[in-house]
Amino acid sequence: MTQPTLASSPAQISPARSSLAERLADIVGERHVLGRPSELLVYNSDGLPGYRRQPRIAVFPGTREETVSVVRLLADERISFVPRGAGTGLSGGALADDIVVIGLHRLKKIISLDVENRRATVEPGVVNLRLNKHVAQYGLLYAPDPSSEAACTIGGNVAENAGGPHCLKYGVTLNHVLAMTVLLPSAEVVELGSKVGERDGYDLRGAFIGSEGCFGLALDVTVKLTPKPQTVRTLLADFTSVNQAAQVTSAIIASGIVPAALEFMDGTTIRVVEDSIYAAGYPRDAEAILLIELDGLESGVSADLEVVRRICIDGGARNVKVARDDAERMKLWQGRKKAFGAMGRLAHHLIVQDAVIPRTKLPEILATIHAIGEKYRVIVCNVFHAGDGNLHPNIPYSADDPDESERVHKAMTEIMQACIDAGGSITGEHGVGLDKMGYMESIFSEDSLNAMCELRSVFDPDRRSNPGKVVPVHSCKEWNAVPGGRLRTNGPSSIEAEGDTPPLQTEPSHPSAT
Amino acid sequence: MSTEAVVAAIKESGITRAPIRISGGSTWLDAGRPVRANKTLSLAGDTGVVSYVPGDLTLTVRAGTTLSEIDRVTREHDQWLPLDPYGSPDGTIGATVATASAGPLASSFGLPRDLLLGLEFVNGRGDVVRGGGKVVKNVAGFDLSRLLTGSWGTLGVITEVTVRLYALPETDRTFAVVLDGSEKEVQSLVRAIVASPLTPYAIQLINPPAARALGLGERPVCLIRFGGNDAVVRAQAGALSQVARPKEIESITWVRLRTLEGRAHTTVRISGLPQRFLNASARIVGDDIPGIFSYMDPKRGTLRIVVGADRGSDDDSMIGASSTFRPDKSEASDVIFEKLHPDVWPAVSPSAISDALSQGIKRAYDPHNILNPGILGD
Repeated sequence: MTQPTLASSPAQISPARSSLAERLADIVGERHVLGRPSELLVYNSDGLPGYRRQPRIAVFPGTREETVSVVRLLADERISFVPRGAGTGLSGGALADDIVVIGLHRLKKIISLDVENRRATVEPGVVNLRLNKHVAQYGLLYAPDPSSEAACTIGGNVAENAGGPHCLKYGVTLNHVLAMTVLLPSAEVVELGSKVGERDGYDLRGAFIGSEGCFGLALDVTVKLTPKPQTVRTLLADFTSVNQAAQVTSAIIASGIVPAALEFMDGTTIRVVEDSIYAAGYPRDAEAILLIELDGLESGVSADLEVVRRICIDGGARNVKVARDDAERMKLWQGRKKAFGAMGRLAHHLIVQDAVIPRTKLPEILATIHAIGEKYRVIVCNVFHAGDGNLHPNIPYSADDPDESERVHKAMTEIMQACIDAGGSITGEHGVGLDKMGYMESIFSEDSLNAMCELRSVFDPDRRSNPGKVVPVHSCKEWNAVPGGRLRTNGPSSIEAEGDTPPLQTEPSHPSAT
Repeated sequence: MSTEAVVAAIKESGITRAPIRISGGSTWLDAGRPVRANKTLSLAGDTGVVSYVPGDLTLTVRAGTTLSEIDRVTREHDQWLPLDPYGSPDGTIGATVATASAGPLASSFGLPRDLLLGLEFVNGRGDVVRGGGKVVKNVAGFDLSRLLTGSWGTLGVITEVTVRLYALPETDRTFAVVLDGSEKEVQSLVRAIVASPLTPYAIQLINPPAARALGLGERPVCLIRFGGNDAVVRAQAGALSQVARPKEIESITWVRLRTLEGRAHTTVRISGLPQRFLNASARIVGDDIPGIFSYMDPKRGTLRIVVGADRGSDDDSMIGASSTFRPDKSEASDVIFEKLHPDVWPAVSPSAISDALSQGIKRAYDPHNILNPGILGD
C-alpha cells in the first residue's frame, strides 16, 4: 500500500479525512458518503478482479448540482478522485488508491428523447440497456452494446469509448456521441460537441471520449440513435478446428460484406457456457463457433446470408444454422454475452486481454496463442469480436497458486507481445487503465506519450482526475521537469505510486459476474 | 518531403519564429481564415502507400497522397475509401483529414473522424507523434487522431494517415427525382423518401442553379445513390419508384457535383436538426438565385451554400453575399464558414478556438505559434 495521498502532510490525515467526509455529506447527504473500509470493499475492484485498491471515501451525488459541488470541494482541497460508473470496466480503470471515488450511478435520468431527430440526452449513470429498452418502442436503438450492457452506464461507455459485438458494422461510442456537458476537474462546466449540428474548431468531444476519466466527467451525454434494421438474421456456424473458423472469419471480411456482428468462441468457452445457466444450445463437440449477424433491408440481407453461408460451408463448417425467431436469436446471443461470467465455473480468478490484430493475421495469431498456452500449461479461452480482429484471450486460474499465477502472467505477456508484433493494438475497447499501462511504451514513442500527457494537462493541470492511469507518469516530460514533482504527497503522488505498478497483478481476486 | 524533412522545417521555423503555411494539393488554399505566414510547407510531394493489405481493409498512406490516387490503388482490389469531400479529387488525404472535409457519402459512411484509424504528425516543436494505430478498433491512449482531425494544421503537420476501407458495392446506381410542384408537394415527397426504410449511400437536394450546372434541368432535383448487392439496390430502386418518378443518371454526376464549387468565393455549411431541414427543404431548394448553389443533405442535416462558383472571383458583391450568412446564435443550427472574403472573417467568425481548452491545446502543441497561425482565428 502506498503512503497517504489525501492530506498535504501526515499530521493532518485524520482531521482532514473526517472533515472531508462531513463536508461531502453536507452536499449529498450522509447516506451517500461511505468512509468505513468494510463499506468500501465493493469499490476496491472493477470487472477485472486481478487489481484491488482501497478508496478513502466514496461519494454518490444524486444531482448534477451536487456533482459540481463535490468536484468543486475536491478542487478547492486539491484532492484526487476517480469517477466511476457501474464498475464493470475490464482494465482496472475505475480503481481509487486511497483517494475519493465519485460514483455517478444515481444520475440516471433520460433527460430528453427526440424521436424525430433520433437523439437522446441522458445523465451519465443511465444504464446502456435501459436506454435501449426506452427507445425500442420508437423503433430506435443505441448501437454500442458492450457485453456488460445490462449494468454498464453511458458515462462509463464514454470514458472507455466502449465497443461491443455490433460495433463491427455500427462503430464504437465515439461514432455515436454528438455532445457532452463535461465537468472538468477544476469544477468548470464546458459543452463539447453540438447537440444540433456540426461545429468547427478542435474535436474536443472526440478527445474526451475514451479519456478514461482522466479529463473529468460527463454530466450529460447526447447520443445518436439508430433506426432498428428492417431484418436481422443470426447464423451459428460450427467447426471442428479453430483454424477453419479463423480462416472463414478472414474470408467473410475480405468478401466485403459487413456483418452487424461476427463473433468467435472456441471449444473450451463453448463447453463452459453450455454447462452454465447461460446455455445457448451451442454444439458441445465443436472446437469453434462463429456467431454471425446480418441486418438491413430484407432483400439485401437474404442475398448476403447466402454468400456468408457458402463461405462457411466452403471453409469447412459442419453446420450453419439460422436462428428461426427472435427468441432463438436472443438465446444465441445470451451465451456469447455472458461467456465471461460463465468462466467462473472453471476457476476463481480470470485474466482477460483485449488486443486487436489485423484481420488477415487471425489464423496465425490464434495458432500462436494456442502454442503459448501449451508452453505455459494454462487454459486459454478465446471468445471475441472476430470481425474486428479484437481478441479476448482469457485464462481462468487460481491466484492462490503462485506457480500457476506466474505461468498465467508469462503467457499473457507473451500473447500481448505477439499481437503487438503483428501490428496490433493493446486494447480495442476495454481501455488501458492500470492493466495495460505497462504496454503503452511498446506501441507509442516517448514523444507520442508526452503529447498525450500534454493533452491531459490541458483538461486536468493538477492530474487529480483518475491519477496514475493510461499513460505512465515517467512518460510526461514536463511533469518530470517539475523539481520535486514526484515527491509531492498530494494527489499526483499517487500517479507516481501507481505509475510504476507492474502490468499484471497476482493479488487474490474473484471473477466478474458480468 | 519525408517526416524528417518536416521535422527539420518546423525546428528551423521554431528557432527563427517564422510561421509556416501548411499545404497539401493546394486545391483549397482560399479556404479558412487568412494565414499569417510567408513560408509554405507543402506536403504534396510526400506521397505513396506505406502499407496496404486488402484483406484487412485498412490503408496507410503518406499525407500528400491524393484522394484520386487512393481511389485508383484501392479500386484494383475492388475496395474504396468512401470519402468524397466537395472540391477536387486532387486534394490530399492529409488536407482532407486536417480540414475534416466530407461530401455526400458522409451521411452513410461517416466523416473523416469516423474513417480515420490513426495518424502521424509533427507538432510545433518538431516532435513526431503517433495517434491511434493501424487496426480497425483501438482505444489505446488518448485520442490524438480525433484531436488532429479538423485542426487545420494548427496543432501539427499530418505526415501519414491510416484509414478504414470498404469493399466496392456490387452495384452502385444513382437516380434523380425532379422536385416539381408546390412547396407542400415537394416537402411531402422529400419526407416520403427520407422517412422510408431506404438506406441510400447519399442523398442531396440541389437547387435550380446547381441542377442547371449539372445539366439536370431547371427545377430543384433530389439526387439519390444506392449501393450494395444487386438485390438490395434493385429493391430500393423499386421502392423509390413507389413514391416518386426517379430517372437513372450517370454516377459521374457525383464527381461533377463535388467539383462545381471550384471557383466559389464563399462557402458556408449550415447544420442543424435533420427534421428542421426537412421542414424547410422545399423553400431552401426552391431558391433560384443566379450564382448561388445550394445542396442539402437531409440525412446528415446539412445545407451547403456556395456563392460565386460560376462568376469571376473579383465580384464586388461577394463581400455583401458573405456577410449575409451570420451565425445564428440560437440553439437551432450551427454554421461553419469554409470560404469567405478575407475582410469578412473578423466580423462574421473571428475564431473557432477561443475557448480555454482549445487555447491550452494550441499552446501545448504549437508553443511558438508557427503552424498555420490565424487559420482558425486566435
